[in-house]
Amino acid sequence: MASNTLNESKQLATWYFTFAFILFGAQLLFGLVAATQFVMPGFLFEILDFSVARTLHINALVVWMVFAMFGSVYWLLPDETGINTIGIKMGKLLYWVFVAAIAVVVLVYIFVQVGPADQTTIWFIMEGREYIEAPRWADIGIVVVALGFVANLFLTGMKGKQTGIVTVLMADMIAFAGLYLAGMFFTDNISVDQYWWWWVIHLWVEATWEVFVGAIAAYGLITMIGAHRKVVEMWLWIEVAMLFGSGILGMGHHYFWIGTPEYWWEIGALFSALEPIPLVAMFVHVLYDWGKTQGAEEEAGNPASVINNKPAFTWFVLNAFGNFLGAGIWGFFHTLPQVNLYTHGTQFTSAHGHLAFFGAYATILIGMMYIAVQGKNNIKVLKNTKSSIWAVSMIAGGVMGMTVALTIAGYVQVLVSRAQMGATWAGYFDGQEGMWFAQGMDWRLIMGLVTFLGFALLAKDLLTTGKNPVHER
Amino acid sequence: MIDPSVIRPEIALDDFLPIFLSSALAMLFGGFYVGIYTAVKVKMLKSWAMPIAYLFWFLTAYSLYIMGSLMHVGEFTAKALIVSMIGYLLLPHAVYHMQHQVHEENEH
Repeated sequence: MASNTLNESKQLATWYFTFAFILFGAQLLFGLVAATQFVMPGFLFEILDFSVARTLHINALVVWMVFAMFGSVYWLLPDETGINTIGIKMGKLLYWVFVAAIAVVVLVYIFVQVGPADQTTIWFIMEGREYIEAPRWADIGIVVVALGFVANLFLTGMKGKQTGIVTVLMADMIAFAGLYLAGMFFTDNISVDQYWWWWVIHLWVEATWEVFVGAIAAYGLITMIGAHRKVVEMWLWIEVAMLFGSGILGMGHHYFWIGTPEYWWEIGALFSALEPIPLVAMFVHVLYDWGKTQGAEEEAGNPASVINNKPAFTWFVLNAFGNFLGAGIWGFFHTLPQVNLYTHGTQFTSAHGHLAFFGAYATILIGMMYIAVQGKNNIKVLKNTKSSIWAVSMIAGGVMGMTVALTIAGYVQVLVSRAQMGATWAGYFDGQEGMWFAQGMDWRLIMGLVTFLGFALLAKDLLTTGKNPVHER
Repeated sequence: MIDPSVIRPEIALDDFLPIFLSSALAMLFGGFYVGIYTAVKVKMLKSWAMPIAYLFWFLTAYSLYIMGSLMHVGEFTAKALIVSMIGYLLLPHAVYHMQHQVHEENEH
């Protein structure tokens, strides 16, 4: 009986991962549509305009990551607590509520698109806030689903074994759910409104999602290479302290130009400069545990690799690098107010967004999907296949290519649209007409296609793993 | 015709590329510093590599100095950058020390 219920939590996790993967595909598809519209502005004009494609691209990104987050927690909960996940039936019901709500919201985005500037649109079509455009009814639904998820996590965490990973997740997920409320009301003052709105996405990414990544990295290192729990969990606490220490005030760099007091320049600059430190620490974390565990095995006369899931480990290592590159380097490029004055809102932001979301979050969530596939199919050692290697190479190469292309386009905008032409209307258009900007957009589309092909290979690899005889059982 | 009053003169046109490169290098060198430091400590690299780690920290600090100078950062931000660099220098030592203690407690 116990094992049946245990499996139920993991089964629910696989449902979450499956829907997350479908939304991941949708995100890439609508991203391709938007990228094509930069190159061919008439593409799907008045059918699926850039504003709609971009909304779908960005919201699909946020929602697939939330689905994969929930899936990851439901997957690790029985392993960590040692008991059956409490409230699994409610979890399953809420999963279907969540899926239905997202399906309706997407259909409304595609077929209704816009509405009059009144409460009807806010309640039934979209709220118009970037990243979290979901209409009010869906907002309320998301809060209910998130509360149910947090309740399951807390009830299980408090009854079962309270490991460091579960304790961190319990605190983190309540902050994650609570922050969503900051994006559910409007104020008459646009500066105040933007201030609260940023709390949702940027406190998610700077604080709660990074902490979540730390917890998942800790679980992954214990699961995949048998790293010592006490060591891994101590790392986790250090990362949590550093992330909350730098991330919360570091988001001051979003207050530079929205009409908030000027002291945010100094607060944002100081804590933004400190923000890369925990990202570097995460990179060291993986290197340290891998080196120590492998070294201990070799000293004991066992030179074989300690990794029991090669594709997942590849994605986890990519996460350490990607987090550092995308959030660290591409973030630090333009985080200080002196240079942010010129880069804010250019394709620099887009370059940072692409690499940071991919490097910091998508990678580790795909790694968790591989862990789930391994567990679901009772595979002892999951090996790399041609598809898994091509998938990771094409996705990582594609996203990196898009990032470089967007960075070049952003650099043109900084020089032409901002420095030379003073952020004027004419400057905006002159910047976009430059050869380097246009070629940057061409390359972004090409690299987007490479990413999508990589995604198709990833889908093939995940779907065929169960029947692939190359893995050790 | 662009009104000259809307042009922001704080950063010279030719300085943007060095600013972006130096900020990227600051992070990259910083990554090499903590990476090599940790690799030596966990015996993935020989101990002779440790001076190279500190060389990378120095390059990080120099890159940050270049970046700050070209950006004409204010006094407070300059101090913040210095504090960050001292933090980067000390961080791997402090973290490794704690890690080592935990390992010792668990293995002996």
